[in-house]
Amino acid sequence: MADEHWRTLMMAVQAGDTVAYRRLLVEVGSWLQAYYSRRLPSGMVDDASQEALMTLHAKRHTYDPSKPFGPWLAAIARYKWIDRLRAMKAAATEELSEEPAVRDCGEAVQSARALEALLERLKPAQANAIRLVKIEGLSLKEAAEKLGQTISLVKVNIHRGLRQLGELAQEEGHEF
Amino acid sequence: MNFDSLIDRLADDLTPVRRRRPWADMLTVAAIAVAELALLFAVGFAHMSLHRMMTEPTLWWRLASLGLISLLSGALAIRSFDPAYSPRDGLRWLALIIALCLAFGLLMGGLPGGLASIARRLDWTSGVQCAYKMALLSVPPLIGLALLGRRGAPTDLRRTPLLIGLAAAAWGAFAFVFACPFDDPLYIAVWYSVGCGIVIGLARLILPRIARW
Repeated sequence: MADEHWRTLMMAVQAGDTVAYRRLLVEVGSWLQAYYSRRLPSGMVDDASQEALMTLHAKRHTYDPSKPFGPWLAAIARYKWIDRLRAMKAAATEELSEEPAVRDCGEAVQSARALEALLERLKPAQANAIRLVKIEGLSLKEAAEKLGQTISLVKVNIHRGLRQLGELAQEEGHEF
Repeated sequence: MNFDSLIDRLADDLTPVRRRRPWADMLTVAAIAVAELALLFAVGFAHMSLHRMMTEPTLWWRLASLGLISLLSGALAIRSFDPAYSPRDGLRWLALIIALCLAFGLLMGGLPGGLASIARRLDWTSGVQCAYKMALLSVPPLIGLALLGRRGAPTDLRRTPLLIGLAAAAWGAFAFVFACPFDDPLYIAVWYSVGCGIVIGLARLILPRIARW
């Protein structure tokens, strides 16, 4: 701590010198960040430093320039640190539920990956017909137009593809 | 809010301040205490046989002990409004002084005999009234010290309220000495301690909430 330098700045601050105040706040702010980073979780360091700066502002009249500045600043920083620890202790800790807060999509993702792997083993015409009608939800007519096939051919490809998918799934032990 | 905008805001808000001066605080509290005492004498609060009681050594024991305790604890309380000052050691010395004062008074009055003698000497109905009046008399200095504490920055929110309570209670008891018709040191040691204890307990309970900054 540059005690004598800060003491001089603080005397000017008590007299209302804004330039000295900005300089003091910047320097003390860095010191406070270092102080709290050794004592608080990293997410709380900025908030604690800013709160201590606001306290320094509110209690600047309690500094006696005949005494060193360091112990005065350290006492304020420590007081605010203890305050924060007390608040942390008092804050209710919420126990996390065993159940996830959002819908678990893990199984669906796994099934989709397995289905995609099986579709790749079908003939492209059968796989595309199944993707468009059974997965994307297009009508037979829309799928036929998109694939450049007749509606009957799309139906046949879907029928044969699904039967083959069932056989492949049984072979590999998948359930859909 | 980020650091730069906070610094801008604080710098914009800067005005010259009048520094806190402990001796000015002490003068303020002393003025409150003296004004209270003068008012009590003005309204005829003093006991009718005060002149006779002034020849009793117990009166001077009470005045000297309570005056000293009040002065020392008040000075320590005001010093503890400085964030860098810890009243821990001062409080220990004060506890020793209080113990010596009580022991001195008890030796003056002679050690109590049997239980019946103690019960008679304690006169609990008068004692409760004494304790109540003492507590009331300690309110003005208590408020004065609490307000000064709020303007300061005490960092020990357990000991500073204790000291404020002790200073105010000792002053309340000091003022009450002039109206108290009892001079038995045992009675005084017990009931004055009860009155002071109530004030100290209340100060310890309430002031930390007010003095927090």
